[in-house]
Amino acid sequence: MTEELRDKARTLGLDRLTAEHLKQFERATTGMERQLQRLPHGMPTAQEPAHVYRAKGDTQ
Amino acid sequence: MSADLAYLGLAEAAELIRAKKLSPVEYATALLARIEHHDSKYNAFIALTPERALKAARAAEAEITAGRWRGPFHGMPYALKDIIDVESLPTTAHSKILIGNIARRHAVVTERLEAAGGVLLGKLSTHEFAIGGPSFDLPWPPARNPWNRDHFCGGSSSGSGAGLAAGFFSAALGTDTGGSIRNPASMCGTTGMKPTYGRVSRRGVAPLAFSLDHVGPMTRTVRDNALMLQVIAGHDPSDPGSADESVPDYGALLGLDVRGLRIGVIRHFYTKDVVGNPEQVEALDDAVKLLAEAGAEISEIILPALQDFSACGQIILAAEAYAVHEQWLKERPEDYGARARERLLAGATLRAVDYLQAVRWRLQLRDRVAAAFANIDLAITASSMDPACRIDDEEALASNYWRQARMPFNVTGQPGLVIPAGFSNGGLPLSLQLVGHPFGEAMLYRVAQFYEDATGWTKRHPPALSE
Repeated sequence: MTEELRDKARTLGLDRLTAEHLKQFERATTGMERQLQRLPHGMPTAQEPAHVYRAKGDTQ
Repeated sequence: MSADLAYLGLAEAAELIRAKKLSPVEYATALLARIEHHDSKYNAFIALTPERALKAARAAEAEITAGRWRGPFHGMPYALKDIIDVESLPTTAHSKILIGNIARRHAVVTERLEAAGGVLLGKLSTHEFAIGGPSFDLPWPPARNPWNRDHFCGGSSSGSGAGLAAGFFSAALGTDTGGSIRNPASMCGTTGMKPTYGRVSRRGVAPLAFSLDHVGPMTRTVRDNALMLQVIAGHDPSDPGSADESVPDYGALLGLDVRGLRIGVIRHFYTKDVVGNPEQVEALDDAVKLLAEAGAEISEIILPALQDFSACGQIILAAEAYAVHEQWLKERPEDYGARARERLLAGATLRAVDYLQAVRWRLQLRDRVAAAFANIDLAITASSMDPACRIDDEEALASNYWRQARMPFNVTGQPGLVIPAGFSNGGLPLSLQLVGHPFGEAMLYRVAQFYEDATGWTKRHPPALSE
């Protein structure tokens, strides 16, 4: 277990993670990195996200 | 209790109850006795509620006897995944975190089932918070597959799938954020509908990922599924994701054939993007052939790669789930099971821009799917790529999360209906998934009913429980 990993968790407020939890944290975030690599590059700047704020009282 | 009564369908039971040939009290009593006898082997239930059930059954019987029949759900036993609130009962999400959490009011879906006269039998096992599992480090054991209790029964609505296959009830609710209704339906040989996003209220249901969560009916047959969706569907102003769309008659198209229907086959999901188990692929090919021979117009359609939907969905899921669980993960990480903790921690390091790029990508994926669906009435594809693996096979369980084609329709929000499509040589269920246009659930029921009638797969029950 590297101190770097423990520091990373602490920075996120996850300072109660045990050594076992930190291994899980490492596996989980490594797996997520692989998913992030599939995010497309160069989306049109005007491409909106899937959820758009609506003011209360608008016609839905 | 005879297997006939255990495996009585909702529609058949409703007719018998309406005609006063079946007493709701006797029916509920018989099912409760069956659960008491068998469930120690299958762990479908976290909590049985027999007193409440018999009180509701007696009330239903009195009303029906007095000529006040409310509809097909009146006097009908059902059960709820234990992330759905029932007033005054615990909602545990199968987690130590929520022990002692008593619901103050019904979820909207519970209100609707109760108003229809349903008889709640109890709360069902789930993967912890609908994400971790199967797990042996939680306060309750994981559900087991009635077709072979050494095998996984899918999740996260695991108790719903297991209880249906075991003949404990004919109707249950599940929830589906990345496939959690359709996975246990696939593994247990039952029928599960993830309706269109917004079709069914989520108020009073523990959230996993706000923009991907769906509540839906789980039954053994298609007709029963349509009946249950009819009860729970509809706009709920208290759910921000709820759609203000009219609710059609979900039984209206049942019994029609498939001649002239345009069915797109999304074959690359299970032959190229992920290579499915040969028995599962053969079952899908056979289903497509059956529909073609019955007059459906079959064409192959191409969508973005399964891995793109998976990545987009997993990033959104991880970010939204971390928002829900952050405080508990900081303060009580030891109170989660290992599987849930690991999956939830995946969201800890995501940046705001990662989430936003994923939800922008989501609209692009949705639009590409909509374009591919423009000239078809519905699509057919795989749900799971494999039959149920052993519950102690860590490697196979891990691959279960990506060897599936369910997440695309959580990303797009389209309805997906999973039905049985045969059995492996090992006697485990195989399945197929029908996918519709938004709010096109009735069309899925039409085709699924036709296929069910043509094949008879739903008439088979686990040998250990059907005698």
